[in-house]
Amino acid sequence: MVRWIPGNGEEEKALLDALGLSSVEELFRDIPPSARMKRMGLGAPLEERQVVEHVDRLLEKNQTQGSLDSFLGCGLYDRYTPAVVDGILQRSEFYTSYTPYQPEASQGVLQTLFEFQSLWVELSDMDVANASLYDGATAMGEAMLMARRLAPGHRFLVPSTLFWERRSVLENYAPRKDMEFVEVPCDPRTGRLDLGFLEREAKHDCFGVLFEYPDTLGTLQVDLPKVKGAIKDVPLIVSADPLALTLLEPPGAWGADIVVGEGQGFGVPVSYGGPLLGLISTRKEHVRMLPGRIAGATVDHEGRRAFTLTLQAREQHIRRSRATSNICTNQTLVSLAFLAYACAVGPSGLTRLASRLSEEGHRLAKALKEVPGLRAPLVDAPFLWEFPVGVEGLSIPEFLDGMYDEGVLAGVPLQDPRPGAKGHPHPGFLTSAGERTDAKSVERYARAARKVLSAPKKEGSP
Amino acid sequence: MTFRQARWEEPLLWEIRPPADGGVDPAQAPEVPPELRRRKALRLPELSELEVARHFTRLSQMNFGIETSFYPLGSCTMKYNPRVSEVLARRAGVADVHPYQPESSTQGLLAMLWEMEQALGKITGLPHTTLQVAAGAHGEYVALRMTAAYHRDRGDTKRTEVLLPDTAHGTNPASAAMAGFTTREIPSKNGCVDLRALEGALSENTAAFMLTNPNTAGLFEEQILEISDRVHSAGAILYYDGANLNAILGKTGPGKMGFDVAHLNLHKTFATPHGGGGPGDGALCVGERLKDYLPVPRIVKEGRKFHISYDFPRSIGKVKTAYGNVGLVLRAYVFLRAHGEEGLRRVSERAVLNSNYLGMRLGEHLPRPFKPLVKHEFVLSGAPLKARGVRTLDLAKRLLDEGVHAPTVYFPTLVEESLMIEPPETESKRDLDEFVAAFLRALNDTPERLHASPMNLAVGRVDEVRAARDLILSWRDMEKAAPGAGRSHATAASPPGVASAAPSDIPNPSVGAK
Repeated sequence: MVRWIPGNGEEEKALLDALGLSSVEELFRDIPPSARMKRMGLGAPLEERQVVEHVDRLLEKNQTQGSLDSFLGCGLYDRYTPAVVDGILQRSEFYTSYTPYQPEASQGVLQTLFEFQSLWVELSDMDVANASLYDGATAMGEAMLMARRLAPGHRFLVPSTLFWERRSVLENYAPRKDMEFVEVPCDPRTGRLDLGFLEREAKHDCFGVLFEYPDTLGTLQVDLPKVKGAIKDVPLIVSADPLALTLLEPPGAWGADIVVGEGQGFGVPVSYGGPLLGLISTRKEHVRMLPGRIAGATVDHEGRRAFTLTLQAREQHIRRSRATSNICTNQTLVSLAFLAYACAVGPSGLTRLASRLSEEGHRLAKALKEVPGLRAPLVDAPFLWEFPVGVEGLSIPEFLDGMYDEGVLAGVPLQDPRPGAKGHPHPGFLTSAGERTDAKSVERYARAARKVLSAPKKEGSP
Repeated sequence: MTFRQARWEEPLLWEIRPPADGGVDPAQAPEVPPELRRRKALRLPELSELEVARHFTRLSQMNFGIETSFYPLGSCTMKYNPRVSEVLARRAGVADVHPYQPESSTQGLLAMLWEMEQALGKITGLPHTTLQVAAGAHGEYVALRMTAAYHRDRGDTKRTEVLLPDTAHGTNPASAAMAGFTTREIPSKNGCVDLRALEGALSENTAAFMLTNPNTAGLFEEQILEISDRVHSAGAILYYDGANLNAILGKTGPGKMGFDVAHLNLHKTFATPHGGGGPGDGALCVGERLKDYLPVPRIVKEGRKFHISYDFPRSIGKVKTAYGNVGLVLRAYVFLRAHGEEGLRRVSERAVLNSNYLGMRLGEHLPRPFKPLVKHEFVLSGAPLKARGVRTLDLAKRLLDEGVHAPTVYFPTLVEESLMIEPPETESKRDLDEFVAAFLRALNDTPERLHASPMNLAVGRVDEVRAARDLILSWRDMEKAAPGAGRSHATAASPPGVASAAPSDIPNPSVGAK
């Protein structure tokens, strides 16, 4: 049995004696008998060694990306994290501490939050950031609700290419019947957004516009810097990839009102999809509309610099039903990973990494273009390390299954998998060059694709 | 006890060495269209690995954690986070698995997630579970979205109001409002729900009643079955806030008490680390009424295979990217498997025993506004201190000087100058007795010293009013407020605003703000 409860059973006796009780059951006498539970029906306790063996047996049944050639991305990226980052995260004062509600005892966490906010401010070129949200998708949802507080109107404009998961999360963050989604179309060939449509629609009852940078398809929309001019006072939300922002002009420089993002790619393992990191920043005049915690600098009673959570009057524990959000627990430790990763790799290292990934992405696209039956990239637009691919002759799932049999995780289907769901305007899958992509893995990808596409069709297939 | 926290005058990263002020090399990523190219390079200093390690290690030394300090925060369940979970969560078999891999390549993780769902179903008595939710408040929100869909599908469109007790966690009303409901608070009587008041408030407009049991005063709502009966008779959903589940494992469960839905905080009851405020990990368990509305995907077991299924037509859809905080679910799973049935029962027994013991000891010195039989936590009132010109806040700050974390203070709000104290099962009797001694030293200290505390930490009493008035929320703000700070390594030794600088050295940043 693990020793996570102190005293080996003897302490309970001493505590009961002090309370003048003979059995611990007496402490549960206020639970009505008919609500009492006899057994939960769980297994017997295990020693730590047994738990490790058991968990390792389970984990052995999973194939890791490292054991395959993985080209999966779609917002969640396999990147190398310098060992020093995990050393920092494993400082128990960081990972076992609580929310820094007592600032004097929590200067360490508070200063890292302040620095994390500062980093997202620099990357996005905005004025203020919060101390994190759950993930990139929920950050979009919170940004949408924030835009609703900033502007009148009932309609929210989103790109027609938006990944279905993010769209579904957005719909769940729009509970009010008076919020309506309008899709901004884009050119099927070039993926380019329709600026004229945007300009017309933004004038009518619209409280916000959302764009991705790069977008779901990996595309760099060259017209994005013109969007704010087209939509005028309507709040512009941009969801940006933090690594791409080391190469791209940040949204703050071209008029974004709120910038969100998924921070997982900075020092956080993909871990089957979580924990992740929601980023959000905005302009100073909107700071009181931000959701979640914010760390600020101040002084202590002797004038020493000190940090504390601030503007708490926006938050649920003070404002209750009138809070800007319900969020309480956020992703503090993950924000520390983001910050420590950026420091460990350094600004020039980050730019080099982004540049190298872009180079690998273009090498991959070039190789796949040569494969008969693949349309790569599916849209003719500038991109970095990620782009959509179309397949002729096989369905997307058939192709991806075939590729997996060849040891290649080729990509993420763009189609919403829910029965009866609307089709994606670009029927294909998203493929992504990662840090482990190189000339050899690209060659293996192209070779496997040729094999899968030339294999005789299974019986019954058209 | 003599305790001294490290007192590093640790500069901000940007003050260690100024960042380069250049542009982005156009040779980098020539694929980027010129109109989108970043003009100014990211402003972040180039630091050596040792500089990075030392910076964060020093910062960590100015922070309490479970492994340094007792953390009796009420409703937070600050228990030991087993190290073995940290080791296992870093294994490649979970850390290097992508959520969009084919399900046949992730059978081990799906088995773990499925088993966790089943186990939480048994623990709560609500058999259908999603692990997609990120944290407790997120679980509340998702459950209320499901509740809205449930009523809507029944054509019951008038149910626009959520009821909650006045002792509810702040997330409850915030989640309800965000989910599009109006809220109404039900007054408490002796720290528990006033059944009469609840009956009076329930109507055909009630969508749900949100309750935690034991509640935030640490009291078990003995009338829970009557409450359940009234709520269901009115056609509403009974919601369980699982923040306090650590008190009742194996003794009762939300399903047994008549709840329709429960969120769990796996970062409380199941010992996944709080991470300085997150990541948390949530789970949502539901009974028959709401099961069709759970988010997709769901894990379906067929024979010995596990499938990721999206075929749930009434599902509210997605509430978060992928499948939830799987890296944390694994940690919770380790806790669950190591303890097993017998261990989890002992968890609650010991937590409740610790709480009653500490409540009895401290109740000899400060009033306990409610009955003495409590569950995992208890509430004291610091009101008598006011006669000495001392407040609960002073007591809390003085406790920090003893090397223990302060309890939750000023919540629940219905108790004047309240302190809410939760000693989880991982604290020994010796720890509790030491806490009593520290508490008494603090209580009996002079008003002058109480007002001046904390004195042994990295900083003294922090000026929170100033923080909210003169907003300095990033290095950019700080640079504007104190030009020249961070321009060279030499100035970083004592930049304005640090060390002995007077408060006036940090001018109002709004002057320089846009």
